[in-house]
Order: sequence, then C-alpha cells, then structure tokens
Amino acid sequence: MGKSRRKIQIVILIAVFIIGGYAIGTTLFAQNDNGQLRPGDKPPAFALADLDGNVFQLSDFEGKPVIVNFWGSFCEPCVREMPEFQRQYLKWQEKGLTVLAINLSEDTLTVQNFVKRFQLDYHILRDIGRKTERSYGLRSYPTTFFIRSDGRLMEAVVGGMSEEDIDKRVERLLEL
Amino acid sequence: MLVPENTKCECGHQNAVGTVLCESCGKPLLEELQKADTPLEMRYDGVARRSQKTNPSIIDRVWNFFSSVKIAIYLIIITFLTAMLGTIYPQENSFINNSEPWLYYEQTHGLPGKIYYALGLSRTYESWWFIGLLVMIGTSLVICSLDRVLPLYRALSKQQIRKHHQFLHRQKTVYRGEVEGNAGEWVDQFAAQLKRKGYTIHTDESGAAMLAEKNRFSRWGPYINHIGLILFLLAILARSIPGWQMDTYVTVPDGDTVEIQGTNYYVKSEKFTVDFYNDEELPDSLKGKPRPKNFETKAVLYQCVQDCSDPLKSPQLEEVTRHDIGVNSPLQYKGLKLFQFDFNLTPRLNAVHPVLVDKTTGDVYGPFDLPMKDSALVHKLGPFTLELYANYMEFALDSEGKPTTLSREPNAPAFVFTVKGPGLKPEGEPYMYFPMQKDKVRFSQDSINRALADRIEIRVDGMENVDFSEATTFLNVRMDKALSFLWVGGIISMIGLVMGTYWQHRRIWLRIDEGKLSLGAHSNKNFFGLRAEIAAALKKTGIEVEPKRLDNGGNNA
Repeated sequence: MGKSRRKIQIVILIAVFIIGGYAIGTTLFAQNDNGQLRPGDKPPAFALADLDGNVFQLSDFEGKPVIVNFWGSFCEPCVREMPEFQRQYLKWQEKGLTVLAINLSEDTLTVQNFVKRFQLDYHILRDIGRKTERSYGLRSYPTTFFIRSDGRLMEAVVGGMSEEDIDKRVERLLEL
Repeated sequence: MLVPENTKCECGHQNAVGTVLCESCGKPLLEELQKADTPLEMRYDGVARRSQKTNPSIIDRVWNFFSSVKIAIYLIIITFLTAMLGTIYPQENSFINNSEPWLYYEQTHGLPGKIYYALGLSRTYESWWFIGLLVMIGTSLVICSLDRVLPLYRALSKQQIRKHHQFLHRQKTVYRGEVEGNAGEWVDQFAAQLKRKGYTIHTDESGAAMLAEKNRFSRWGPYINHIGLILFLLAILARSIPGWQMDTYVTVPDGDTVEIQGTNYYVKSEKFTVDFYNDEELPDSLKGKPRPKNFETKAVLYQCVQDCSDPLKSPQLEEVTRHDIGVNSPLQYKGLKLFQFDFNLTPRLNAVHPVLVDKTTGDVYGPFDLPMKDSALVHKLGPFTLELYANYMEFALDSEGKPTTLSREPNAPAFVFTVKGPGLKPEGEPYMYFPMQKDKVRFSQDSINRALADRIEIRVDGMENVDFSEATTFLNVRMDKALSFLWVGGIISMIGLVMGTYWQHRRIWLRIDEGKLSLGAHSNKNFFGLRAEIAAALKKTGIEVEPKRLDNGGNNA
C-alpha cells in the first residue's frame, strides 16, 4: 500500500504542477486583451500578396531584421515616410534589412497609383479586409514594427518618423 | 504532535501513526486522552490522516502543507480578500475600446487610480498570483479530500461492533442502565424499534453487542461537493486555453460579410432595422427624443470551407445558419453567440449605376456599374470609353495642393476617368466625377472638367441606381466553452452540499455485560433528533428516559 500511495502522491503533484504551471504561465506570457504588441513579443504571422501577386510571409524573412510598416494613401505622415523608408532601405539593404510596407486594405488602383508616384523598391503588401492590421492591434497610422533577426519585436513606433529616427532604430536592429 | 511510540491497542489491533481512537475497539490511544473524561472528538472517526508520517520527505512536506485544513482556510480567506481588491475600480477587461488604460485610471481616479494600475490590480483576476491562489486552493481541495476520504471510507466499511467502554461512555449521547432478562432478546427487541426508524443493524456473535447505523452516505457529501468545486476551478482555468473563451465585437454594414476574427466564421448583415417610439407613446419628459423601440439585425453566419487564408483568392463561404438577432435573442451556433450590441444609422455609399450622356447628340449610354472600391478599370459605353485613372474615397487636396484621400471610407468619393470617344482627343481627356451631389457642388465638378463638361455628363438617374448601406450594426461575439463544465461542476457541488446538509450519519453502539447496558451514540449533527430517536426506542423496550438525560455534554447542538 505504501508504494502505490507514494505513486498517487507523485501523480497528483505532477498534475498540479502541469495544470497550475500552464494556468500561471499563460497569465505571465499572455498578450494584453487590447492586443497591443510589446517588445519581446513574437509578432503575428501573415501571408500577404504584393501588387504582382507574389505572396510573402513574415516567416520567409526569419533570421533577418524586418521593418513592418502599415500605411495608407489617406494618411499624410505615412505618405511622407515612404521616401524615407526607400532611402533607408537602399542604405541598409546589403546588411540584410527587409522592409515590408503593408497597405491598409485600400483598393488596387489606389495602391498602384501611389507606388507609381514614389518608385519604391521594397515590398508593398496588401492587407485584405483589415485582417492583418487587426491582428497587430493597430490603433493609429502609421505604425511601424521593428523586428529583430530572432523574430522578436524590438520596438513598435506609432506615428510618423523622421529619417534620423528610422536610421537610429535600424542601427539598433542590426546591432551595429 | 505525532507520537511514534506504541500504536498497538490493548485489543490487539495495530493502528497507523496518528490514530486517535483505536480503529477497531474505539479506545482512546493517547495517554492524556485516556485520563480525561470529556466526550471524545469523533472527527474522521479518530483515524489517522493518510499523510501523517514519522519521517516526512520533501514530497511529504509539500503534501502535508496542502493536506492541512488550516492552510486551506487561510488560502480561501486570502483569495476572498484579494478578490475584493479587484472590485475597487473597474477592471481593464471591461473596457471595450480603450488602448490607454493607464490614462483612464490616472485621469478618472487620480493618484489612487495610478497606484491601482501600477500594482496590476486593474487585471486582478488574470494576474499570476490570483491564478496561483486558485491553483493552490484546487490542490488543497484534492489533497485534503483524498487524505481524509480514503481512511474514513476504510474505517466506516470495517467497523467493529463491540466497542471499548471508554469509547461508549465518552460519546456525547450516552445511556447506562440495567437490563433484565436475556441480553440477546432485549437487543433484538431494541433493534426492531431502530429498524423501523431506518437503521441498519449489526450484532456480534454473542448477541449482546450491537451497532445501528443510518444515512452513512451523507458522510460522502463534502467530498462530492469538493469534486464539483475542483471541476469548477478546472473549468475556470481552462478558459485560458486558446479558443475556449472569446468576447469581441464586429462591425457589419448592411450587406457586408465580415470575418469574425480568431474563428473560421463570417457574418453577414442582410439588413439592420430600428424602430423608434413616436411621441404619443412617450412620457412628456422624453418627447422629441429618439428612443429605440426595437432593433434587429438579419444575420447570416457563414463558415469558410476553402481558401480561408490565401491572399490571392477570396474565401469560399458556406452558410451554416441564419437568425434575426434582437435584444436577448442572439444568433447561436455551436457555442458561438452573436448579440446585438449597438448600431449606427449613418448611410454608406457602396456603388452607383450612372449613365453617360453625350450632350451634343443627347444620346444616353449605360447605366454601368461603378462600385466605390475595386471598380473595373475600363467601361465601354457606346462610342465612348471610360478608363479609370484614379479614385479617392474622401476627396481632398493635400498641403501641396495635390488630390488625396482623407480616409478609406467612401465619405466623399471621386473618380478620375480618361474619356475617349467621338470629337475628343485621341489620347483621351480627363473627366472628374463626384457621385454625391454635395461634393459636385463643393469641388465644382463642372469647372474642373472645363470644356468636357459641355460635351458629356456622367449622372445617376434615380435612387434605384444608388446602392448604399443604410445602417451599420455592431455585434458582440461571445464564446465560452467552459460554461457547460461550470454548470456540471456547480450541480455536482450542490448535490454534495445537499447530501451533507439534509441527512446526518447516526450511529448507536451498545453492549450488555452481565445485565449492565452501555449505550453510546454519535451523529455528525442534530444530536437532539438522535436523542429523541433513542429515547423513543428505549421506551418501547420498557426503559423510560427523558431524551435530554441522554446528553453527555460536549458541544452537541
């Protein structure tokens, strides 16, 4: 009887450890209810197409630093940022920097006209039905996510940035 | 307090460490208890708790910690007190659209609010320490119950009939007297009386000792109650499993199909309607104010069956159910519930079906379909071709004077076409078209289009050629898979509670030695009823005794 009793004790304590550990663990690592990403979080995955119909996933760029920028033609600070991102992209491209600019679910013609106007070399992806935007918990535009090469968020910047702001963060992102 | 010494009783029974009353004859084992003459503590029938051991290891120590009822009570008190803290200010998860809760607490409640937020009390019930307390209570429930129910079960299923005199005389209900004649016959007579009251009778081979017992099942009540509580707690903890609990909101304009985030479902609102009370129906104080009488969303729920996350294809949907959602009448499907939450009566323009008029000939071409979003890029209308060059959802001029859009909602839509046709330049001429009359005037469409405005006109004939959403409905999406488990746990817990509350486990032991009757009885509550039952049975056998004379003191309500 003594042996089976010890077994029951160990089984119960292990069960408590697993269930309790899971319950407490999820509270510790849970994202906020309002869906805002925090530094160190793993940003939600997405699979989005560019204007030519090529599909890109965030996981395609694993091991590389990525800037994910949400923009719309209706948002003036976003529009002002685009040429800055273009220059920054050209500057850091060789070091492996990827820029993914996700349009905020506008229609094809609008995005096409916009890209034609600015001559952008980095990936312009198109969100559909505000799905990706929602999964990233976006509240205002532009919002830019700087993702480290380990796939974790370094910083989320809400609002327009000067070129210097972007440059400083890219340097940190590339760990220079 | 654990006494490792002799646990062998004089009756020859070997008891486990920590036993208070011999498991067999019931004689008190502890010396100081033997000397006293106060009524015995009958809790768990005096058997040892399972975990009581002489040489506790680390596992035993953890086990003993959770096995203590004292600890369990402390845990429950701490949980209650901390749960109260969570009710001081609103919890963060009760806000629907607040991305900056820290500002809310500071601005609404001042410094205390700031401290409240900083301490993490704005998320009390999701905090690691609160969940930790629940886990500890759960552990304590399991271990406390297990440690007591198994020894108790064993003790009650192999009860010795002939008990030690000390055991009998130190019960809280006792009778001592003389019995004339044959002891066995008297016992049979007394047993027959108790049988009529629902007791089960056990006599030993001599016939001069007896145990009468009833409602033993009520002893399992607390443990059944605990099983229910454990299930309840597990169900609460299970809510953190992804997909078990959801509480979100969707915005659905009339005619649109919107994805319910985090699920495979899409919801379409075919039409939202709201009725208002008219003034005759309202009291004077409310006259002239819009008071909704009834609102309803004709909703259709779809499930995505293919191409659900392919960005190049649109998802293939299959209707699963439809329902007219009203107040207190949600759409329900497999645990998913859609409640009417709010509405907005601002119309939204979806598409127009305009015609092209050749002003020189008076010919009318069309109508053609012009949705506000993702319109076809080329429209052929008789001899004319309209090539869509640009479109704007909310037309405006930016700080540099260039055309731009202020939002992605069709609040002031504008289209720029390159028109080709008879009498026009071969490379085409630009024509700007504002579907809404107010914008035509505001941005003076005719002067923008200059000469072309005299050649052609794009216009909409009648409201039947305008497609718009009259209203937008807001639905609350809820899912709680834990709810049914909460119910089951609650019901089991209630069954246990009733079992333990409305019945009492009553036992009467007696032995007759040379004409001397020793009777002791025990109940876990309602000793008054027990004494009355014994006195009535004794009376039938010729022994007149006042029920309250059976009271042997002790705390016996």
